Amino acid sequence: MKFAIPVLLAVLPLAAQDIKMPAGLDRLAEKASDVVDVSLDGALLQLASRFLSEKDPDEAHVKRLIGGLKGVYVKSFEFENRDEYKESDVDELRAQLKAPGWARIITARSKRSGENSDVYLKTDAGQITGLAIIATEPKELTIINIVGSIRPEDIRDLGGHLGIPKIDIGPVRNDKDKNDKKDKEDDK
Amino acid sequence: MRSTSMVLAACLLGAASAQAADREFTEVVRVISDEFHTRPTSIPMFGLVNVFAAAVHPAGTRHIDLAVFEHLGSHDREGRNLSDAILSAVGRSWKPFVQVRSHKNGHEETVLVYMRQEGKDWKLLVTAVEHDEATVVQLLLNADALARWMASPEHCARHWSGDQTE
Repeated sequence: MKFAIPVLLAVLPLAAQDIKMPAGLDRLAEKASDVVDVSLDGALLQLASRFLSEKDPDEAHVKRLIGGLKGVYVKSFEFENRDEYKESDVDELRAQLKAPGWARIITARSKRSGENSDVYLKTDAGQITGLAIIATEPKELTIINIVGSIRPEDIRDLGGHLGIPKIDIGPVRNDKDKNDKKDKEDDK
Repeated sequence: MRSTSMVLAACLLGAASAQAADREFTEVVRVISDEFHTRPTSIPMFGLVNVFAAAVHPAGTRHIDLAVFEHLGSHDREGRNLSDAILSAVGRSWKPFVQVRSHKNGHEETVLVYMRQEGKDWKLLVTAVEHDEATVVQLLLNADALARWMASPEHCARHWSGDQTE
């Protein structure tokens, strides 16, 4: 029982997240040279927005974006060497993002830099209720879960704020229809 | 004579404020003490820091509780998972805010930052554990100071851990 308490406490902050970080990521953390977790719930986000200026156009824009958010959760891993993690390490996470309500809407791939980003959107009754990003580089893995009303194109503006890294998701290419079809085929 | 009385009063105030440290701060210090079989380093006249903080609010900080452990490398470890033990000691009333774990050049470094609202102010409980030293800091911050943390949580956490490379 006494071992259950830390486990329960560890799970509690995840309760507000749309996605559950798989246990396999903890094993990945042991291999990583750097692991960073940032958790900001709705109350903290609203507090943060109070300090952004309405007069500065950029800050005013970010302030409006934060106004619609209920939580920001960022987990990033950095490795000493290339290929210390496998694509399969995030398979469990990607499986969650195939659940009803989620759709992969952007896929960005760079053969030159090896940077890949997938952006998933969660909708409920036509309203955006969350967003998830899995960004991979040869020596880095970043998972971002934003809970609340956010548009994919606003991600760039939030980058650099609230612990959200600046992520180049490339030219926005809407993959929703194509991936819906592919995911259904994969599920068969 | 008067200045001596003021110093004495400051120390007494400092001692009083040290006793007012939250149970969770004390628990985290105990967890590290138990893990490394050692006690925090005594910091002479630290009470004066809080007299200063209460009066001047440097960088938006109104109160500081601090425990520093040194020469941890020379102590035998209990071998528990320190992050889990600290998480358990902190409890549910504190929100996890930032966690940084680093394993570079054979040295492990962990920074755990928890947050709790107290009226209009916010408390941060920062625990930084490195190979040879550990620091536990509880800060009572005004909203301006907290906003700085939230603008760049990872940078602030690394700053407190002494890693200036970011």
